[in-house]
Amino acid sequence: MIATTLRRVRQVRHADGWIFGTMLVSACLSLAASLVLAADAVTLAADPAATLSCNINSVISCGTVGSSWQARLLGFPNAFLGLMAEPVVITIAVASLGGVRFPRWFMFSAQIVYTIGVGFAYWLFYQSMFSIGALCPWCLLVTVSTTLVFATLTHVNIRDGNLYLPTRVQTALDNAVAADLDAIAVAIWLLAVALAVVLKYGNALLG
Amino acid sequence: MGRQARTASREVRQARAAAARRARKRNRILSAAGGVVIVGLVVAIVVALVNAAGDRPDPAAVAADVVAPAGATAAGAIPIGAATAPVTVDVYLDYMCPFCGRFERANGAEIDRLVAEGTVRLNLHPLAFLDRASAGTRYSTRAANAVATVADAAPGTILAFTTALFADQPEEGGPGLSDEQIATLARQAGVTGDVVDRFAARAFQPWIAASTETTMTQITGTPTVKINGKLFTGDLYTAGPLTQAITAAKAR
Repeated sequence: MIATTLRRVRQVRHADGWIFGTMLVSACLSLAASLVLAADAVTLAADPAATLSCNINSVISCGTVGSSWQARLLGFPNAFLGLMAEPVVITIAVASLGGVRFPRWFMFSAQIVYTIGVGFAYWLFYQSMFSIGALCPWCLLVTVSTTLVFATLTHVNIRDGNLYLPTRVQTALDNAVAADLDAIAVAIWLLAVALAVVLKYGNALLG
Repeated sequence: MGRQARTASREVRQARAAAARRARKRNRILSAAGGVVIVGLVVAIVVALVNAAGDRPDPAAVAADVVAPAGATAAGAIPIGAATAPVTVDVYLDYMCPFCGRFERANGAEIDRLVAEGTVRLNLHPLAFLDRASAGTRYSTRAANAVATVADAAPGTILAFTTALFADQPEEGGPGLSDEQIATLARQAGVTGDVVDRFAARAFQPWIAASTETTMTQITGTPTVKINGKLFTGDLYTAGPLTQAITAAKAR
């Protein structure tokens, strides 16, 4: 009974519907959060008075944080990157749910670009934890949803062998995915993020 | 197929099967280890949350315990200076807010002078909405509580103390000044030891929380300055414009 259920869950977990469905939902959440952050950054830039005071309702804490160099690493608000990248992910997810199969090189390129994106998201997460120190719920949502998109993209690319890996590595990864090690890794990853947030902001969250 | 070839192919098969068994075993061990890590992380999160919740004051007790410092207005302000002064200036600030520091460094001396000569009655509104930006130490609340305690027991030193807090203002997002550092600044500003000792009781914490709650619906950010109840929209960060506006208000 339990074994049957476990097998069913596994079947669903490796199926297109689950993987691309999760990707779609995560990308939509990430896009929504980016939109809020981008709108906030634009307001901040347009209103000199807002940039010169600690806005009570701003999600980006005081003006000093919103205008910190980390907040606009490439010369424009970081959230704009989310506005550019997430619609592409949404398109990939919707097309794949509709049965489209993208060429290997396309999925491989998407993996590379999104890996850079996830690296950037975690660099920002680290900066906001240890340099800026402001609790930003929308930034956290971006961090979590970016992680989920990355996880689902990697999952599907391992499943379909899109990563141009040597046979030995590909076999090892296939075995790991079959043993659900990928799901365990993502769970550990997200729980570690949650622990870091609770340790750093537990008082602010509950106080 | 010769015997030798059969043996060889059997050996290859056995080697493959052994490798697959090793891989399965390794993955089982990794799964188990991952499960242990997951359980450990969940336990750590729960413990951290319980600890954080333990530091939190009981909301019911807070509502019952609101004690305003002596002389405070119903609007949550600490009035400083002559009640008969022709101009009333309301200043809303958070001791963690970097722009409030800039405002204080630009205009503090002028405001002190105008209060001393009887032109201005200063309504100080210490807020604590930036508690979220002090790495969990609630610096805004601790600083505002110290200021309220001084207002309650040693009002003559409050302007010197406020100036000192902004002169040594900690970085936003950091842990803020420690309770000892706040106490030292208060003593240097002329607050007596018995008053400083009262900081630790945090007697005015509920009052600060309540007035922050009310004030947050009335202003959009800090610093906010009102002259005779009217929002001052001039330059807050250079000395001069505010003094001119106060002088103009006095002439009217």
